Amino acid sequence: MLKFLRRLAGHVVRGLVMIWIVTTFTFVLVRLMPGDPVQTQYETLLSKGMSPDQAKAQVAVTYGFVPHGSFWSQYGHYLWQLLHFDLGRSVRAQGVSVTTEVLSTAKWTIGLVLAGTLLSFLFGVVLGVVAAMRRNSHLGNGLSIVGSLLHGVPQYVMALILVTFLTVKFKLFSTGPVDGLLEPGFNGPYIASIVAHAVLPAVAFALSSFGGYLLSMKSSVVSVLGDDFILASELRGIRPSIIFRYVARNAILPLFTVLALSLGFMVGGAVFIENAFNYPGMGAMLVASIGQRDYSEMSGAFLLITMAVIIANICADMLYTVIDPRVRRGEGA
Amino acid sequence: MTAATEPSTVDGASTGPGVRISDLTVAYRTPAGELPAVSGINLELAPGSITGLVGESGSGKSTMALAMLNAVQQPGRITGGVIEIDGLGDVLSLSPKQIRAARGGSIGYVFQAAQNSLNPLKTVGKQLLDLGRSHGVEDKRALVRQAKELLSRMGLSGERVLDSYQHELSGGMRQRVGIMLALVLNAHVLVLDEPTTALDMISQANILSIIKDVHAEHGLTTLVVTHDIGVVAEVADRVAVMYGGRLVEQGPTVDVLRAPSHPYTRGLITAIPRLTGDPDVAQPLPGRPPTLGTIPRQGCVFRERCAVYAAGAREDCETVDPPAYDIGAERLVACHVVEEER
Repeated sequence: MLKFLRRLAGHVVRGLVMIWIVTTFTFVLVRLMPGDPVQTQYETLLSKGMSPDQAKAQVAVTYGFVPHGSFWSQYGHYLWQLLHFDLGRSVRAQGVSVTTEVLSTAKWTIGLVLAGTLLSFLFGVVLGVVAAMRRNSHLGNGLSIVGSLLHGVPQYVMALILVTFLTVKFKLFSTGPVDGLLEPGFNGPYIASIVAHAVLPAVAFALSSFGGYLLSMKSSVVSVLGDDFILASELRGIRPSIIFRYVARNAILPLFTVLALSLGFMVGGAVFIENAFNYPGMGAMLVASIGQRDYSEMSGAFLLITMAVIIANICADMLYTVIDPRVRRGEGA
Repeated sequence: MTAATEPSTVDGASTGPGVRISDLTVAYRTPAGELPAVSGINLELAPGSITGLVGESGSGKSTMALAMLNAVQQPGRITGGVIEIDGLGDVLSLSPKQIRAARGGSIGYVFQAAQNSLNPLKTVGKQLLDLGRSHGVEDKRALVRQAKELLSRMGLSGERVLDSYQHELSGGMRQRVGIMLALVLNAHVLVLDEPTTALDMISQANILSIIKDVHAEHGLTTLVVTHDIGVVAEVADRVAVMYGGRLVEQGPTVDVLRAPSHPYTRGLITAIPRLTGDPDVAQPLPGRPPTLGTIPRQGCVFRERCAVYAAGAREDCETVDPPAYDIGAERLVACHVVEEER
């Protein structure tokens, strides 16, 4: 247990360092962008009739740093605000803080991504096992082919197909917007709303990504089936149901990495699906903020995506120490 | 090892059951059709004996070992023969349920040391319990006690080993765990496939002496499959030599090693380097062992590498598959020339 905590602490420290590095990059990148958004906004405000001091203050609030201070004082100011979870103000939605904006869209995205990923993982793994067990039959081959095909269909195509058929042609699902008055959380109306609005996006998500899990699981199972200890277990007369569990547990190990990584990446990766379904998630917000050159929102979104990937990585790593004894012994930092 | 702690005993005899393999043929499906990897094997394992089965890689000896448990792997298939074990009957005609009970229950199989014969994600103890559950063992405590006794008999701390994962055990330790798992349910036929391959010399000697001791104490009938004549010389009462899927010679170990009859056995023994004297005395056998596709369909399988055949080609070597000639003193040799010159 102590080892586990030490390992976890090491991961958290490394994660924080990585987050710091990424935020620094974002900070520098914003000022390397052509057209200098800070200067642009400053000048826009000036041309609207603000005094230089007022404009300066406004820009400082928006971006979370002092536009005309030295690089280092700006950087220090930015980090200080970051430590207080202050990402500045949104340019797009005047007066709303980026933190609020990002977190409120993230809630929707996390619901979608979690449902979609777990759905595709579940289907992919189960069908992958079937495909591996029946790999010399039509069923197994068929599953592999379907998996490869769906894996090859881009998310937005899948999303458009579903939208066309299920909302426009057959009107099984509504196309209306989510009620903005709902309070996100564990309450009935919110969950009902999530379900009503997230089913199609989640299904689109699952359909276009379960193929990858299916193929990985299939090859993993086939490789474990060829391992010596499976034959050895058979020769010891171990019951088939127990051998099946041996195979499944060993085969699923490498898939957890893929699962954790995709959970991290999908916070930002659902852009196409959210757009196609008019879903108020991070992806849609990111697209809108890029369209309107809302840099503070963009960097806030990037920060969250970065953190999601890093946290997912840490979770995957810690998960391994629980499920794989070989990792458990390999001492962490 | 007291009889009281044992969950069950096959027949209560102090020597193991006899095993009679007759006319065993195993074929592998290949693009070129079904090719025999083992053909027409006749071999008797006397109750309580240790038999060494030697041969080069690809001679069919591992296939034969798997056939003992009716566990030949795809694309292989046992196409004929009978493997009769006292108290069990013909292994090849058991139902799937019966054969699963026999594996581990009556016949123990020990994998090559270098192979990972344990589930990497479970401790040895948990796998022991899986084994017990698979064989309907009611008394888990007795099973664990039996396992600990076996392990400590082999010089390991039962407590520690049962709590260990495979990666925490050395090759020699894994091998002893393999032997424990093969015997813990009181199997009286033990098949060891390359038990010392990939072990260092000290561990090899250790494992061999353990095999001999356990064999004697448990009253087993043991088959040791190996490519190492040294192993056979060390543990086996009888030796059977395999080449190209056939038994070319068998007999008491001492006699066969001291005075090999079959040209192949002679070649094998002269190929062993000596520890003392001139290393060049060792003569490698010329040529390569046949593969499935290159085993001659007709005549003696060894003739292409045979010194006797090379010295003077004989017609029957090319046309007639030599049967196992009885040359006396419990020795069988599958060679026309040896039979004729006797």
